[in-house]
Amino acid sequence: MTSLADIPRRAGAWVTPPMAVMAVVTVSAPLWLGPVGLHQYLGIEIAIWIIYALGFNLLFGYGGLHSFGHGAYLGTGAYAFGLFQHHVAVSLWGGLLAAVLTAGIAGALVGAIVSHRRGIYYALLTIACGQVFWFVAVKAHWLTGGDDGLLSIPRPALRLGVTTVDLNDNLAFFYLVIAVLAVTVVGLWRLVHSPFGRILQAVRQNETRAAFVGYHVWRFKWAAFVISAILSGLAGGLFAMAQQSAYPDVMSLHQSGLVVMMVLVGGGLVGFWGPVLGVALYFGVRDFLGALTETWLLWYGLMFVVMVMYRPEGLAGILHSVQAKLSCAPVLREKPTE
Amino acid sequence: MTGLAPHLFNGLTLGMLFALIALGFTLIIGVMEVINLAHGALFALGAYFALTILGDWSAGTAFGAWWLGFPLTVRYVAALVLAPILAGCAGMVLERCLRPTYDKVPLYGLLLTFGAALVIEEAIRLLWGTGEKSLALPEAISGAVLVGGLIYSKYKLFAAIFALAAIAAVWLFLERTSYGAIIKAGAHDSEMVRALGYDLAKLRMLVFGFGAGLAGLAGVIMVPIWGLRPHVGVDVVIPAFLIIVLGGVGSFWGAVVASLLVGLTVGITGAYASAWSTMSMYLLLIAVVGVRARGLFGRKSALEN
Repeated sequence: MTSLADIPRRAGAWVTPPMAVMAVVTVSAPLWLGPVGLHQYLGIEIAIWIIYALGFNLLFGYGGLHSFGHGAYLGTGAYAFGLFQHHVAVSLWGGLLAAVLTAGIAGALVGAIVSHRRGIYYALLTIACGQVFWFVAVKAHWLTGGDDGLLSIPRPALRLGVTTVDLNDNLAFFYLVIAVLAVTVVGLWRLVHSPFGRILQAVRQNETRAAFVGYHVWRFKWAAFVISAILSGLAGGLFAMAQQSAYPDVMSLHQSGLVVMMVLVGGGLVGFWGPVLGVALYFGVRDFLGALTETWLLWYGLMFVVMVMYRPEGLAGILHSVQAKLSCAPVLREKPTE
Repeated sequence: MTGLAPHLFNGLTLGMLFALIALGFTLIIGVMEVINLAHGALFALGAYFALTILGDWSAGTAFGAWWLGFPLTVRYVAALVLAPILAGCAGMVLERCLRPTYDKVPLYGLLLTFGAALVIEEAIRLLWGTGEKSLALPEAISGAVLVGGLIYSKYKLFAAIFALAAIAAVWLFLERTSYGAIIKAGAHDSEMVRALGYDLAKLRMLVFGFGAGLAGLAGVIMVPIWGLRPHVGVDVVIPAFLIIVLGGVGSFWGAVVASLLVGLTVGITGAYASAWSTMSMYLLLIAVVGVRARGLFGRKSALEN
């Protein structure tokens, strides 16, 4: 099957055609979301989850490090943002900084433990660590509010020099999230095509060989974990603003698994844009199918199972092979797995 | 000491039941090299099958009236036998879906079973409703019993003894029968087993069915203690996971010893800081795996690559 390394890309560019397409789609979203029958709020949610999924895919797709407990860092970011607003100061940048720092520290600690491991032990340890975070969030009532979560988190105003933007307006908040998303996309695009990204992919393809070539593998695995935890924390901070609350559910194994599903269905193992497709598809299915039937998750799950069985490359992989056929280029043959 | 005894007993009971769950799990990992995230869902499925076989739904129909005419003990024994078999059949169907993933990295098996767990859980919600249910128990194993001046729940005693017997039976099956020898050989070197002329596809299907059946059995036994909800599977698959990693992937005694260790840890923490008792097992895991990468009894496995 195809993998990330098989897809030709314009590595050096800061801005690529897909980015332009995505920019047009997202910036114009408020114009067409309503007519299609969706809420403005959905756009916010999708954009936040795209930040989260892209950060996750740095680890999952590029690093081949299968974390099943990533909800912990989204949740940590959300709590940190909420607690900062409640106890320190009502400030947008302060809150986001707190979210990023806390999630980064949590990621650094967990990453230090798990980065010694590989394969299935890595997955199992990330699950165990993620569960610890979830458990603390549920039990530490005095800090997190337990099962109910932190409520009435304000959306602080955005201060830009002379002007102040009220983010309680969903449209304004949407554009803030889009701006953060744009920075994330460009930053990650540069990162995965930097020497760091290349080495990370080498670690995915063959960790032992990467070590023999002379790279300190642990350090790269750890750094990838921390960066993806930081992005998850950033998404978490925005998520706390969007929901105006933070609750332990996002840290559960179930939710951590959902992001894995989204990334895989979208084709995060095959392309940079996989997570974006996956998140959009998930929320699209949730809203359209969820309006029709209460058991939409059953159908999404079935679709996922069929996809893993027959098209594990996901949407991005399907698009890629269609593109390859159209341009009459030789289609990549099935290869034995690495 | 008498203050601690009930907690030790609770811990041991819990450990036995964990071992029952973990054995099916470790068997599947050992032979198939698949991390079966749907194990908890199969556990729940077994318990829900038992609920149906016990028959609280069927009072309206003629068959139901006939079936409910039997004493509860008969129906309970029927549930104890049939529900694991049905869960085993569900496991075999799942194995059939897993086949395309065998020649790929282990991640795909893990992902597929995660999806399957989601599907089974939603199907349970659809078929049996979302509310909390409970299994009816025969008179003989409900109520309390007095042992050495302490009151124990009769059901917990029954569950512990039953789990112990089941573990012993699994051990005898693996160690003393030729089928067990083939399964163990399959775990050790599946290529060689195929070369010797055994049908590997059939073996895998049977092992998966057997493991799923053990999950279903554990479900029937454990649910009167834990309660029956559609997401009970998630509550169960996590401890099972931790136990496998703690004991070492694919090791029978590793799973049993780790189960007892986890059970005792949870039981004793429950005595002093009950709110945090579940937390203690995660900390135990992180402590052990931080020192011994492959768990207590683990050997190198293909899953590490």
